[in-house]
Amino acid sequence: MGGILETFGLAWPKFISQVVIVLIVYFILSKYAFGPILAMLEARRQRIADGEENLKKIESELEKAEEKVQGMLDEANSDAERLITEARESAEAVRSQKTQEAVKEAQGIIEKAREASKMEHEKAMNELKSDFGRLVIDATSKVTGKVLDDADQKRINDETAGQVAL
Amino acid sequence: MEANLPIMSLDSLNPLLAAGGIAAPEIPGFGWLTNSILVAAVVTTCVVLFTRMATKRMELIPSGKQNFVEFIIEFLYGQVEGIVGKHVAPKAFPLLATVFIFILTANWFGLIPGVGTIGFGEEKIAFLSLKEVTHPILRPATADLNMTLALAVVFMVVWAWLSISELGLWGTIVHIFGPKGGLQGFLKYALMPIFIFVGIIEVVSIVFRPMSLSLRLLGNIFAGETLLVTMGGLGELLGASGFVAWILSVVFPLPFYFMEILVGALQATVFTLLCGVYIKLSTTHDDEDHH
Repeated sequence: MGGILETFGLAWPKFISQVVIVLIVYFILSKYAFGPILAMLEARRQRIADGEENLKKIESELEKAEEKVQGMLDEANSDAERLITEARESAEAVRSQKTQEAVKEAQGIIEKAREASKMEHEKAMNELKSDFGRLVIDATSKVTGKVLDDADQKRINDETAGQVAL
Repeated sequence: MEANLPIMSLDSLNPLLAAGGIAAPEIPGFGWLTNSILVAAVVTTCVVLFTRMATKRMELIPSGKQNFVEFIIEFLYGQVEGIVGKHVAPKAFPLLATVFIFILTANWFGLIPGVGTIGFGEEKIAFLSLKEVTHPILRPATADLNMTLALAVVFMVVWAWLSISELGLWGTIVHIFGPKGGLQGFLKYALMPIFIFVGIIEVVSIVFRPMSLSLRLLGNIFAGETLLVTMGGLGELLGASGFVAWILSVVFPLPFYFMEILVGALQATVFTLLCGVYIKLSTTHDDEDHH
């Protein structure tokens, strides 16, 4: 046995020093390499998992937001169509009212113009009658050579006016 | 005719064994400090310094050394987890990863030119040249039984702690000697002597594990060193001399260097794999076996 140990160079000091070296590597690697790196790998794995989860959440929220936006757009379109219809109806009503008012006003203006024209016509006729009566009186007075009194003048005037009215 | 073939005798091959023989020689003037302990210390320093530099300022987005070390550790953790299972992996990983990284680095360190060939000897043939190096300054750490046995013993201690922490002391004893296969009733008691006998064989195999692990690693690495030395001196043995011998000392070992790179990785893997399997076998609950 001793010969075998000697052949292989086995000796306690050498063996123990090699054990110490192995233990040093074991403890230092465990503490400064494996621990931190495995923790880092786990942190990275967790971060990726969190990222994936957040991505799913964001996609879900985006989908909901898109649905909400679509709903709002639909509602806005519906409101807009309703408002346009109401505005169109309202405009139609206003237009109709304004047209009626304009027609009514125009009729009033025409009526007033007609009355004014009628009055002007009557006034002109009256003035014409008066002038025509005066001319008849003057002509009668000159033809007859007689000074006509007020009663004559009134009678001639009335007769002339009566004939002119015919 | 026989006089022309002296190189074929075993005596002529003796000087071609790796310098110092199977026992790691002590460095002259340093007591029991052997060249393999020196290399083990150098390898330890290299591994520790490199990993410390890689993990000193760790960032969430890795780069450079941190990226490399993370790749190695993540890969190893996946392998260890695949062998020992998710439950035991966090406890077993530090030891198995240490064993793998250390053995791999030590094996490959032994392939650096100068390791095993620079040292002290008796017969000088020229300035700074010896006929034979009897005490090399550097020797692969895993080409020394002290180191390989140290690795195996440390593993066995951690293995025992893991087994007992997983199954308990009584559970471990039952695991080794108890009935297997979920036997119940009469058959269980009838076959008990067989299971006890199998348990004894199991204990013997456990006792021999450190020796088998350490001798396998030592044998392969020392054989590799010897092979390279033999190939390096083959030119001279074939009768070449001068420049031709020098060229042949480079050409002949070259293919074996690549083979030794592979052997270095393979032996580190085999040692670690066996350790993982031993842990798996001793930490598996019997009820898990049934599933």
